[in-house]
Amino acid sequence: MSNKFTQEPTRSAVDTLYADRWDGVEGVEQASAFIQFMASNDLIFVVLGVSLIIWFVLLFFMIRVDRKVTSLEETLKENQSTEEA
Amino acid sequence: MTVVIIAGFSIKIPEIAILEQTARNLFLHVPMWFTMMVAFTMAFYYSVRYLNDEEIKWDRKAETATAIGLVFGICGLLTGSLWARFTWGTWWTFAEPRMNLSALAMLIFVAYFILRSAFNDAEKRAKISAVYNIFGITTIPFLLYIIPRQLPSLHPGADGNPAFSDMTAPELRLIFYPAVIGFIGLAVWMMDIVNRYKKVKFISES
Repeated sequence: MSNKFTQEPTRSAVDTLYADRWDGVEGVEQASAFIQFMASNDLIFVVLGVSLIIWFVLLFFMIRVDRKVTSLEETLKENQSTEEA
Repeated sequence: MTVVIIAGFSIKIPEIAILEQTARNLFLHVPMWFTMMVAFTMAFYYSVRYLNDEEIKWDRKAETATAIGLVFGICGLLTGSLWARFTWGTWWTFAEPRMNLSALAMLIFVAYFILRSAFNDAEKRAKISAVYNIFGITTIPFLLYIIPRQLPSLHPGADGNPAFSDMTAPELRLIFYPAVIGFIGLAVWMMDIVNRYKKVKFISES
């Protein structure tokens, strides 16, 4: 990891929100392994995370629709068989 | 439409990096909100149409458009939160007006579905939720565009600036606009699928 992410850990990141320089990715050495991993390679994994979030939310929605369609198909099939009987 | 989506994803790889690569999030995070706006605008139109001629199909379409808009809005919130963690240093901050107001806007539409589930009578439900939807969607431009632009904020587009400003490279636009079109196309396609499902269900039940 490059040294540009190191800093003195006295201020919390939120305190610098309106400062000229944002400390968002600084002080990651103290942070958890997940944060360190995400901050590596010029934050490219953040982009990966964002696309994965979109993908999984849309996938979840489509799976839900698929389930509904399946249950509708089953009720249609049942209705047909009861009409025939 | 599919071609546009694929292009929006594949072309983005060979791009210059500013904001330490997370500038690429522009193609993903911002179109979420654009798509949400389009979906809610469609829902607004369908709600007005329902109140106009009281056909149940407009209520169906309004519900679907709101649902898709909500899905994309939640995507936008989650991605924005993740992006904020690595550029602003926090998952969530109450000092940021746009973040909180967009969360508020999402809650308005969660309430729309709670309202819908409160009625058993389909006609009554359709009428009241159409009225609610019209009021709810009217608040969206204020919550997402007008108020955040008046307040100081880290989010691009604060203090009366348009969001595309000095920190955005012009090359990004080439990918950005197809990505917006692609996501809107995806949303319209999803709406079409859900609408067809609801139509078949309605026919089979009647």
